[in-house]
Amino acid sequence: MGQYIVRRLLWMVLVLFLISVVTFLLMRSVPGGPFAREKRLPEATVALLNKKYNLDAPLWQQYTSYIGDIVIPTVTYGKIKPNAAENYLLNVPLPAMFGDEAVLRWANFGPTFKSRSRSVNDIFRENLPISFQLGLAALIIALAIGMPLGILSALKRNTIYDYLGMGTALMGVSFPVIITAPILQYFFGVQLKILPVSGWGDIQSMIMPALALGFVNAAIIARLTRASLLQILGEDYIRTARAKGLPERVVIIIHALKNSLIPVVTVVGPLFAALVTGTFVVETIFGIPGMGRFFVTSITGRDYPVIMGTILLYAFFLIVTNLLVDITYAWLDPRIRYD
Amino acid sequence: MARSRKIMRYMLLAVLAVVLTTSGVLRAQDPKIVSSGISMVGGDLETIDPGLAEASSQIEVINQIFVGLTAQDVVTAESGLGLASSYEVSEDGKTFTFTLMDNVPWVRYNAETDAVEEVTDESGAVRYVTADDVKYGMLRSLNPDTASPYSYVLAPYVVGATEYNAGEGSADDVAITVVDATTLEVTQPDAVPFAISIYGLWMARPVPQWTIEENGDAWTEPEFIYTNGPFALKEWAHDESITLVKNPFWPGSTTVPQAKLDEVTLRFLDPGVQFNEYLAGTIDAVQVPVEAIDQVKADATLSAEYVSGGNPCTYYIGFDNTEAPMDNAHLRRAFSFAIDRQSLVDNVTKRDETPAQWFVYPGLQAAPTLETNPDLGVKYDPELAKAELALALEELGLSDVSELPEIPYAYNDSSNHGAIAQAIQQMWTDTLGITVTLSPQDPTTYFSLLSEDAPLVYRAGWCQDYSDANNFDYDVFYSASSQNDTGFVDATYDEIVSKARTESDIDVRRDLYAQAEQILVVDKAAIAPTHWYTLNLLVKPGVERAPSVTGNEAYYLWDKS
Repeated sequence: MGQYIVRRLLWMVLVLFLISVVTFLLMRSVPGGPFAREKRLPEATVALLNKKYNLDAPLWQQYTSYIGDIVIPTVTYGKIKPNAAENYLLNVPLPAMFGDEAVLRWANFGPTFKSRSRSVNDIFRENLPISFQLGLAALIIALAIGMPLGILSALKRNTIYDYLGMGTALMGVSFPVIITAPILQYFFGVQLKILPVSGWGDIQSMIMPALALGFVNAAIIARLTRASLLQILGEDYIRTARAKGLPERVVIIIHALKNSLIPVVTVVGPLFAALVTGTFVVETIFGIPGMGRFFVTSITGRDYPVIMGTILLYAFFLIVTNLLVDITYAWLDPRIRYD
Repeated sequence: MARSRKIMRYMLLAVLAVVLTTSGVLRAQDPKIVSSGISMVGGDLETIDPGLAEASSQIEVINQIFVGLTAQDVVTAESGLGLASSYEVSEDGKTFTFTLMDNVPWVRYNAETDAVEEVTDESGAVRYVTADDVKYGMLRSLNPDTASPYSYVLAPYVVGATEYNAGEGSADDVAITVVDATTLEVTQPDAVPFAISIYGLWMARPVPQWTIEENGDAWTEPEFIYTNGPFALKEWAHDESITLVKNPFWPGSTTVPQAKLDEVTLRFLDPGVQFNEYLAGTIDAVQVPVEAIDQVKADATLSAEYVSGGNPCTYYIGFDNTEAPMDNAHLRRAFSFAIDRQSLVDNVTKRDETPAQWFVYPGLQAAPTLETNPDLGVKYDPELAKAELALALEELGLSDVSELPEIPYAYNDSSNHGAIAQAIQQMWTDTLGITVTLSPQDPTTYFSLLSEDAPLVYRAGWCQDYSDANNFDYDVFYSASSQNDTGFVDATYDEIVSKARTESDIDVRRDLYAQAEQILVVDKAAIAPTHWYTLNLLVKPGVERAPSVTGNEAYYLWDKS
């Protein structure tokens, strides 16, 4: 297993590298640049800005210097000015023997062209945790509603419980957040005034966005859980378990449910990655200062380092959660072995 | 006995004190706090650095915390005094000598004491804003290393600045001279009278050199920033809001008086979210989102709180004057006369805009207005449009409009540009029988397309940088302007707007701009202006918004009762 994980992590490096190359080439082939404005900047000004951000260098050089800033650690001495161009994710103070105030710095994801005083690392540090909280809350809601609903529907198949449960799920799948979120906002925020319309910070402000985001995914999970559990309940080993006289509770929880979770886990992994890196629609509607906005605005504004940063971050989360999913398989189904 | 009476007396006093305080007799006046979303959108404010700002939301914040030599009067649009208490112009009209107020300190908000405090230097003396600070601010914007996006607006009005800004000259050759701590001399190459308003623009404001040198790009964060205007920066919650607090040390000038409000929070929310917050009663002033205009006007409460005012921007349809068939002036005129502008603002944009008869916004200095020049420019005239179309077809050697090549109408697919494009497309079909092909584009792609090769027909807009007709007619459509995408070149037009630039008599200037507009929108019909923008706001009762014609809010004039 250990060997397998190491192998997968090495693959991750390769995949991230390939994603970075493809993203870099794709974004640079789209017309328009970061300094295209409705009110045009003079060519001389654009030239100055391009020079400042190294955008006038050959493409391969821009790529290597970008990747170099991320992967190659540097050591700085003394205090460095707070500066968007020198903002590192990891800063490890070194012992005095290495020099005066020596700090090992690593992972500079570059500036954002939209703001001189902030960097991509600032976005990771300040906006990502907010999206992470929201995504996690939504995922917990999705699982807490979706799984019991799916199990109930499967166990009480073709009864009123099943129809009600699946009816709710169908509604959840059919109403995207772009509809549910404004409805919630208008009803609870504007009309009843019991929850804040927008913002982030306290529990009250988390309720509506987490619910809106959680409900859609609860529906997906409910349908998946039901289908999977129904299939497992028809398996021979369930009949065997019942035949040998195990109580129904044990049959369901130990034998059926655990095995039926494999498809659910497969979906929850990538879902987790998507939710915690930010969701544009919900964050925009509820004015949440999360990361979701940057996935969209970086592309429309051709903010190259932010495009690279957000995509690499998402890819990283996706790969890691998929690895976790694979490890979970082995636990859920002892027949799965990776050695 | 005596002792208990004494206690009784104290208790009575205590009760009286409580009653008086809670009833408000002894209580200090409630702080006047306002929250607003006007001019703001979702996301973060990209910068509040005067040398780097480009968007009106950024400039709006800068106007509250940094005051320059001069300041625009938000009611008359004229240039008034800011940091300068007076100024003199040399006889040749080229050198401006400013006398600065000597009692404007640099201030910062101290979070520990919750108060704005004057900044002192190493010796403990208060740091006042000096001529050196203004010079530093101007030179910093002009410095090519700063890569200031708006230095090009200032550069033509200072001798040596264009060369320095282009990286070809030296800072020493830029004609900004500090005579003494409160006297600054600026010399421009031509005798342009409105240069006075340029010297007060955001990229020419004083900035605190010592903190910029110490803290680099992060100097605009609340812990490092020093400001001089009517408000100071209290908090900047990135991606959420910015809070400004009254600076009691700003002495006030005639144009920028002391603030009446104690605190203003500007929240970065998209218009739709702002509107919902407003309905929930959690924000005091907002812009009305395009889709909510009908709702606001129909609602008894909201329509009473609705405020509409001028916004110095012009919406227009540009034509590629150099490419067939739009290189034909008759055809361009036909397109322009066929736009029913009143119907467009009544039925499509619905924001109480004024149909635009010409390009320059009428509220600007020296610009013609509907009162001074009611018949200038273009108006909807279907008969004239058809007549012009017939002339165009004759010149093009075509017998019918069906022989015209396909004409695309390009626009950036955001805001209500799509709805406007569809309406105008329909008007052209109805009046001229020409159906253009709508071509919506991603905004960034669109803006770079315009700079490379403008489409045959495209949408565009222009908002003021400074309040003078020159900012429209000269800065955009002078033949050599980098903003001129139409390819329109006219020697007479160039001559008129150049002459108007250095003319000092405002009536003569207005007349010159009227002549220039006649060429631009009628004779040559290089563009078809459609409407002049408005600002559409909702303001809660009790909040006294100061009217502003500049497109920016002046919170230092707001009050709350």
